[in-house]
Amino acid sequence: MRPFHRKQRPELAISEGEMARMTEELDQLHHEVGKPAMEAQVAAWADELRSGVRQSLSRRHFLVGTGGVLAGGAVLATLATHPTLAAAAASGSSSSSSNPPNSQGGISGLSGDLAVVALAASLENLAVSAYSQGISAAQAGKLGTVPPAVVTFATTAKSQHMDHAAAWNAILRAAGKDPVTITTPSLTPTVTADLAKVANVTDLANLALTLENAAAQTYQVQAAKLKSTKGIATASTIQPVEMQHAAVLYYALGEYPGVQTSSGSPLAFNPTTEAVS
Amino acid sequence: MTGHPRDLTELLEESQDLQSDALATTRTSLDDLVEASLDGPSTYDQADALENRRFADAHRRSLQRSIGTTTLLGAAGGGLLVALLASPALASSSPDIQMMQTAASIENLAVSTYKTALTLPYIGGSSANPVVKKFCQVTESQHDQHNDAFNAAAKRLGGKAQTKEDPTYVPVVKKAVAGLAGASPTAGSMGVVNLALELENVAAETYVNDMSHLKDTRAKELTASIMGVEAQHAAVLLSVRALLEANAPQDIALSPTVVAMLPAAAGSVGFPNSFYPTTLAAPADQGAVK
Repeated sequence: MRPFHRKQRPELAISEGEMARMTEELDQLHHEVGKPAMEAQVAAWADELRSGVRQSLSRRHFLVGTGGVLAGGAVLATLATHPTLAAAAASGSSSSSSNPPNSQGGISGLSGDLAVVALAASLENLAVSAYSQGISAAQAGKLGTVPPAVVTFATTAKSQHMDHAAAWNAILRAAGKDPVTITTPSLTPTVTADLAKVANVTDLANLALTLENAAAQTYQVQAAKLKSTKGIATASTIQPVEMQHAAVLYYALGEYPGVQTSSGSPLAFNPTTEAVS
Repeated sequence: MTGHPRDLTELLEESQDLQSDALATTRTSLDDLVEASLDGPSTYDQADALENRRFADAHRRSLQRSIGTTTLLGAAGGGLLVALLASPALASSSPDIQMMQTAASIENLAVSTYKTALTLPYIGGSSANPVVKKFCQVTESQHDQHNDAFNAAAKRLGGKAQTKEDPTYVPVVKKAVAGLAGASPTAGSMGVVNLALELENVAAETYVNDMSHLKDTRAKELTASIMGVEAQHAAVLLSVRALLEANAPQDIALSPTVVAMLPAAAGSVGFPNSFYPTTLAAPADQGAVK
């Protein structure tokens, strides 16, 4: 990775090493608590979906299907190679689902909970794509000075969205469907147009904020509609993470770090006006 | 670093009105919740009771493991918390009502904790960091609104409002607050942030967990609209804690200029999990009206 442009900055009381150690401690906690719990949850849901899948899925098929959605790197590989998840998907040998296959990685042709799963996967793909393009633009020097903390935010948020996409696609695979490889059709044209206009970090942060809020609000709506308790649990463990991304983006923009109105007044309840359906 | 006190003060004032508007929206959901309950409040059947018991047992085992492997509860009396979890009380209303009441009990505790914190000179006084002070003020107000909403839901489902604080965590908070007496502003601020962080995670994780147990759609919608807000509080507190631990309180500010000076690792310290955990989630009946 090419180094980002960094401006000279005054000496800070905090060192990179000190902050890195704190991050490592939290990251360790994440791997010990958050992801294993989610993996077990997704595996259990996949297990529920086994009953009707006709196509036998090999472990390799699962890995390729999940990891092939977007250039995933280590995060997707780690998730996809988790034995519990892989075994759950590989054993999904029969499905009584009335849904026809979703063709070519799309989100159409599905109904019920699986339609929600596909929508969620497409939203995560869109977030990954937007962050990837933003990071590429920064690396190419197209955004001017990019603060190092913003770079870390973008790469970490992208990684977490890839985790989310992998989880949703693991469910689709377990149900005998194709993993979703597209980005959300209703949002993609707008995001593509906005990305083309991004000229600096503020523009990029505002665009990312729009995506994070849309994702969080979509999960919020769908979590109350999903039938499967495993599906509800999965959406519910992701929604707060998207909102945390949003909080950090507000902070990076110098605004109050929490859900707020368009004029910047904090709100106690997250709205759903930006939810995607 | 002073942040934007003008902006924050105005935001706080404006938010009181706008949060009332938002609450009005929530009340629409609550009205629907009432209608649903009038069709037939769910009964506390044997299966629900067994499920609650299983979850409570699993919760205690999980929390004991969690506390044994992390230092996060250190400042908030983690050992005491383990002991307190040994004998939960039983409640008799439906699981949905219990979850709303338990949520209200957590919100009650959060309100009183922030209120107490704001009496400390280095949190709510003239020497306080203005961003931290306003965050505590806004967050206290938000928890108060959450409390009102959860209690309204409990009552309209046929239960009672929970006006007490979560009994499990009250001794923990009292011990932590007592530990702040005589503390230096630096140590005291760290103690407050650790305690608040723990409460925010308890709240967020409880609501995340409740989502897959609640039966009523409107109760789910209310809970879903709040869980992410608590997670945002936690993200802010994680970031503040990191800067305090690094002896850089001057960098706690709402300013892109300051953000530009932060080290790279600061960009991710506020959101350590891809998937929000539930190991600290309170069982449905923990704060229910007995």
